[in-house]
Amino acid sequence: MRDALLIVKKDLLTEFRKKESIVSMVFFGFLLLVILNIAMGIGRELDGEIAAGILWVSIIFSAVLGLGRVLSQEKENRCIDGLLLSPVEPEQIYAAKTMVNFIFMVVAEVVLIPAFFVFYGDRFARHLPMLVVVVLLVNLGFSTVGTLFSAITAGTRRNEVLLPLLLFPVITPLIALAVKVTGSLFEDVPYREYSSWLYVIAAFGFIFSGVGYLLFDYVIKEG
Amino acid sequence: MDRSGFLRIEGLRKSYDGVDALRGIDLELERGDFLSLFGPNGAGKTTLIRIIATLLKPSSGSVRVMDFDMEEHPEEFRARLGVISHQSFLYSDLSARENLEFYAALYGVSDPAAKAEELLGLVGLLDRADSKVSGFSRGMQQRLSIARALVNDPVLLLLDEPYTGLDQSASILLSSHLRRLHGQHRTIVMVTHDLKRGLEAASKVGILARGKLVYLKERGGIDPGEFEHAYLRYLKGVPDV
Amino acid sequence: MDNGFRSRVLPVVVGLLFLSAIYTIFFYAPTERVMGIVQKIFYVHLSMAFTAFLSFFVAFVCGILYLTKKDIKWDVYGSSSVEIGVVFISLTLMSGVLWARPIWNTWWTWDPRLTTALILWFIYVSYLILRTSVEQEGKRAAYCAVLAIVGFVDVPIVFMSARIWRTIHPVVIRSDSIDMEPSMILTLVITLAAFLSLWFLLFKLKTSVALTCKRIRFLENKMEGGDL
Repeated sequence: MRDALLIVKKDLLTEFRKKESIVSMVFFGFLLLVILNIAMGIGRELDGEIAAGILWVSIIFSAVLGLGRVLSQEKENRCIDGLLLSPVEPEQIYAAKTMVNFIFMVVAEVVLIPAFFVFYGDRFARHLPMLVVVVLLVNLGFSTVGTLFSAITAGTRRNEVLLPLLLFPVITPLIALAVKVTGSLFEDVPYREYSSWLYVIAAFGFIFSGVGYLLFDYVIKEG
Repeated sequence: MDRSGFLRIEGLRKSYDGVDALRGIDLELERGDFLSLFGPNGAGKTTLIRIIATLLKPSSGSVRVMDFDMEEHPEEFRARLGVISHQSFLYSDLSARENLEFYAALYGVSDPAAKAEELLGLVGLLDRADSKVSGFSRGMQQRLSIARALVNDPVLLLLDEPYTGLDQSASILLSSHLRRLHGQHRTIVMVTHDLKRGLEAASKVGILARGKLVYLKERGGIDPGEFEHAYLRYLKGVPDV
Repeated sequence: MDNGFRSRVLPVVVGLLFLSAIYTIFFYAPTERVMGIVQKIFYVHLSMAFTAFLSFFVAFVCGILYLTKKDIKWDVYGSSSVEIGVVFISLTLMSGVLWARPIWNTWWTWDPRLTTALILWFIYVSYLILRTSVEQEGKRAAYCAVLAIVGFVDVPIVFMSARIWRTIHPVVIRSDSIDMEPSMILTLVITLAAFLSLWFLLFKLKTSVALTCKRIRFLENKMEGGDL
């Protein structure tokens, strides 16, 4: 765990210097919020599920931008070899990169979700604590699968193009569940009616934490 | 520590997609040896280094270093290994000092800051310690890379084409650093195709051609001119041992 | 010789099974009262869905075996299986659409089974795209093995999450009973057998072609090495 935290610290320091990933994530997510608002018809009162869909499309699409960098930045100067040559276990690298991606998503969401309330109405902000729980669980699911896949695509010729192609099919259920639960929140649906969906979101995150932890070693090393 | 059999490679083979990169390497080094391995591109030099470094698994054969268990606990071996390549493994957005502190911490060095300071002094980069690596010349990056490889005080140093991209003065500086490292009784394996530089510091020289070790001798009795001749002969691939 | 004999017998078996399947579907099984002739697509549809699912399961198992054993033959088996699976899942989706139009009066509906099939189609097509994007054999095999495992682990989650949408898909086979006439069951069994034998034939052909290609490349590389 100590090794993972060292890598997280190093990545956050780099990001703090360059602000490469987070600025693009926030900017792109914000842009999507506006474009989707236009697409839905400006000035229209949206129902909860559609609003939830817009929010999640913006978050997920912007998160993919940051995800691609999380591992491909280690390919510069072959720093990844430096990590693999150190006594650090590959699983620690996986844990670190998942955490970094999770943190990037949280930072982007701290900007994007308030922006969403501004554009689409603060009536959606009524169940904020529960929304935070949903967001964190979805972030977990996204980061665990995403980090594994970004290790795969970082080893291919077409990193940036390939990542969304591989990732989106697998996380489609996660997006569907996130929209469903968030939509229920926005519509004041009582907890017991959507709680089972929330459990599936949590299960997604935990299952893929395990899968990623077990499989990362095979994709980060070559041959 | 017993001097003999520090590094022992037996019947090492590696093939990718049916292409044999290494076709049976046997090699034994003693503690304190400095082996320069020469070979043309595609001879399997980098593959050999990556296998010794546990980054690649051999198709068959074995590598043993001291009595480390390279199969089950490679991290114990890696903790005592240093690698310098033509790629620096440095983060360009971090300063020289931050890079060294990060790597020192990864290796569990008790006081990373002091270690970084010491190594920066060693490679003569103290005055640029807090500049970002992205602004460094190739030669400075290579010096920092040497410092990086020393954070864990390695017993074995692997050098993969360290002279690539260095200008004349940077090469000379690198050679003098390597001589000093060798003087401290570290075992060093270097692969390169730079004959002159490679011969300078070595205590043993070998030639790797088409995945085989076709030549291995003590540096002592070798005349550089003759060696070059022999090297070219092996490149043409006349005698296949 | 034995291999040659078998490779000629299997296509004949597949052909005969398909002829019997066509015969039983159109001349033996009764025409369903409510849906009429369209219902007959069900035999083919269900058989193809099952074979597709089997393919992905095989790829999942091969993925695990490749990662643990690092033997390239498991990559050949796994990828061949996915290729066949993608063909069958595509046909499943198409036959479902053809059936749904007259019966449900809509081409597509977001039913859990349809949604699951569609997402599976996306996952395994992305697997095929990944295969074309990696040159180095060992790397490609490892990446694809991981994707085959992740994809299959995702299946139950996909199915669970697809329950978000209400179902109008007929549930013909439940765990305790089968909602069909005996003659229909027999027809289904024969069709299923036909498709399974076809799967096996395709799998054998595909893997033997792939292994031969590898062998040729291997020998070519050997020759090159010797000539130098």
